[in-house]
Amino acid sequence: MFRYLALRIAQAILTIFVTVTIVFLLIRLAPGDPAYAYAGPLATAEQLDAVRRQFGLDQPLIVQYFHFLGGIFQGDTGTSYSFRQPALSVVMDRLPYTITLAIAAIVIAIIISIPLGVWMARRQNTGREATASILTIAGQSMPDFWIGIMLVTLFSVLLPWFPSSGFETWGGLVLPALTVAILQVAVLSRIVRREVAQTLQAPFITVARSRGVAGAGLVWGYGVRNSLVPVVTALGTRFAGLLNGVVVVEVVFGWPGIGSLVVRALETRDYPLIQSTVVVTAILAVLVQLVVDLVYPLLDPRVRLGRKVVS
Amino acid sequence: MTRTPTGTGPTRRAVLGGAGLLGLGLALTACAGPTGKRDTANTVTLALNRSLVSLDNKLNQFDAAVTVQRAVRQALTAIDEKLQPALVLASAFDQTSPTEWTVQINPKAVYSDGRRVTVEDVKVAMELYQKVEGSFVAPQFPEFPEVIDQGSGKFILRSQEPIVALPWLMSNILITPAADNKAAELNSGVGSGPYVVAEADTGTGNYTFKINEKYWAEPKPTVETVYVRFMPEESSRVTSLRTADVDVIDSIAADSATQLQGWRDVVVESVVGTRFDHFFFNFRKPKNHPLSDPEVRRALSYAVDGNAIANGIMSGSVTPATGVVPQTLIGWAETGKFEFDPGKARSELERLGVSNLDLTFIWESGEFPQDAATMEAMVEFFKPVGVNVKLKQFEPGGDISKWRRGEAGDWDVLGNGYGNQTGLALTTLQGMYASTAEQAKTHDDYHGFIFPDIASLVRRASAESDEAKRNGLMAQAQKKAWDQTPSLWAFVPNAVLAHRTSVQGLSLTPINSYDLAKVTRA
Repeated sequence: MFRYLALRIAQAILTIFVTVTIVFLLIRLAPGDPAYAYAGPLATAEQLDAVRRQFGLDQPLIVQYFHFLGGIFQGDTGTSYSFRQPALSVVMDRLPYTITLAIAAIVIAIIISIPLGVWMARRQNTGREATASILTIAGQSMPDFWIGIMLVTLFSVLLPWFPSSGFETWGGLVLPALTVAILQVAVLSRIVRREVAQTLQAPFITVARSRGVAGAGLVWGYGVRNSLVPVVTALGTRFAGLLNGVVVVEVVFGWPGIGSLVVRALETRDYPLIQSTVVVTAILAVLVQLVVDLVYPLLDPRVRLGRKVVS
Repeated sequence: MTRTPTGTGPTRRAVLGGAGLLGLGLALTACAGPTGKRDTANTVTLALNRSLVSLDNKLNQFDAAVTVQRAVRQALTAIDEKLQPALVLASAFDQTSPTEWTVQINPKAVYSDGRRVTVEDVKVAMELYQKVEGSFVAPQFPEFPEVIDQGSGKFILRSQEPIVALPWLMSNILITPAADNKAAELNSGVGSGPYVVAEADTGTGNYTFKINEKYWAEPKPTVETVYVRFMPEESSRVTSLRTADVDVIDSIAADSATQLQGWRDVVVESVVGTRFDHFFFNFRKPKNHPLSDPEVRRALSYAVDGNAIANGIMSGSVTPATGVVPQTLIGWAETGKFEFDPGKARSELERLGVSNLDLTFIWESGEFPQDAATMEAMVEFFKPVGVNVKLKQFEPGGDISKWRRGEAGDWDVLGNGYGNQTGLALTTLQGMYASTAEQAKTHDDYHGFIFPDIASLVRRASAESDEAKRNGLMAQAQKKAWDQTPSLWAFVPNAVLAHRTSVQGLSLTPINSYDLAKVTRA
């Protein structure tokens, strides 16, 4: 177990290192000069040079890179050009909003998608299952900004129940979380349906039936439990994706999360802010995947971390 | 198969399902309804289109920020509705010689912690505005005057050359206690304005202000709490205003304003602004290029139907320019009107021997209202004239600045805007039409517009203390600039804001700002 953990942590560090290196290089290959964004369109050549010197942008790329790497180990990812304060603290200011939205959305998605997927699996090839399938495919096809605008129109404008934007009360979380959750429900319920339906065809289910296990006990205790590994994997991947920010939903609801921050950072070529966001989200994504891996043995006793699956 | 006995009441599954639904309903109900929104009694929520990074303007200032920053920190003067300097922290600001202004600090002026506003505070503020790199304020001063303390809150601002615009320029120097001031942005701390910062989250751009109990000037603020929120997306700001989640939104486009005008609880306010949006010719062309001939530039301008853009594409939210600077500015002179006559454009181009002309128009997304639609209209305007227009659009953060400076590709017309926070024509004239050959060597000129006679007139005007003579010099400069046809077409966008009818007292100025102390809640 400890060997496995050490290996995974080493892998995580390597993943983060490769990610931040790629991002460091890619943003510098993109057109645009942060000095112009910082000093403004009417800045003189002298002012532009001064800005480049101030931020070390006049240094060779390799020097900038090692300076950046050295900073990460000291918790210093530079000063944001547009916020004029430590980039990491700007990201950390936004992070609670992103995490709150991601958790709320994924909780709603779990509450709805697992029972819905099981319900669909139990009613395979029926008219009701077909209707539910059509609805989930529609949910998957609808753009999130459109869902968001529709929810705002319905629950903020026509029925003034929830705030249309911001997060000053818990009510402000409902519509953005629902918007994000609808897409997740559409995808996850179909995964649950597929996995549970397959599991319910397995020989051990027949054995359980022959022993008198039936109804909800059979479906939930045997079918769902044995389908959870791929479902949890999908949940982990989608949750990690949400932690990178949901740009469109953040924009529609004026939600001050990481996604809209990255857009702004890209517009201003704010290298330290882009890099800080990538460092933080990469760490979060790796942590989520690690937690998902650690959960596998709890769901399936055959799984031994660091060893092959016992069949 | 297990069978549930029928006729014995609800099943366990039905009970659990019902309980689950009830729980979910209760949770949503707890969030919804009256508790789903903030108590709006005696509060006002402003939604800004850009993040208010700080409550200081040493490095960052955009239109709406002026309102908020000045609610906390004040300057010696402020620009009023008529674009004249109004006294704020100064009780007197008089020119006592061509190179000296004598200023008296209002003896009542105190900060929110009770400290008095002193000459030292002004002196330190002026030093720090010069020290920060990338400031937009510092370049507006031809030189920073020296502060000479005369005692009892009186001081002299002395410069080498006359600075006639000093009372306007000083409206951008926000005063903070010397001991607390830094050569950097200030996100909190004390100020002398009507509000104090209760909470500041610079990362999200959300702020909460409370009344400054020690506010020294009139009128006293009456709205107890002001919330400032950052909402970049215009449609979200409009929806939030309609649903009363916010009370004031600004910098809105014409179509949103039209939409809001039909909403009974919302008022749209609009004044002609101080920004000059134009389609500026590239003056860095070689001498034998058609665009180097002012007659060709004038002939091309006849092809553009400015009224169609202003009234059709921009829904009347802009005013076509009648000069080379916005007509709202002090010192503006009418020099002529853009004429639409495609037949004349074609015949003039033929007379000048210009045929098969290919032009490249460049612009950055969002630089002016309805930018893409306007540029596409430009392509159509030039088709009947026999001119082929190619469009090149840059995204924010891209390389347009390099192109503008002549350090990247070649271009012919730039769709662009030039802001003005002083209300003075002189500021725009200096920035756009007074470039020198020396500046051109480092590409610091304004798109190659180098005409020494015009630059000389602007320089003389900026040093002329006699108002009539100064206006005369500026009028000459504007006429000469107009004769060069610097722009294909130009317009002045309106400053527009919308607010709930329950929020009153917003006197929108052309610099897209208003005094928060005067805002009341019905």
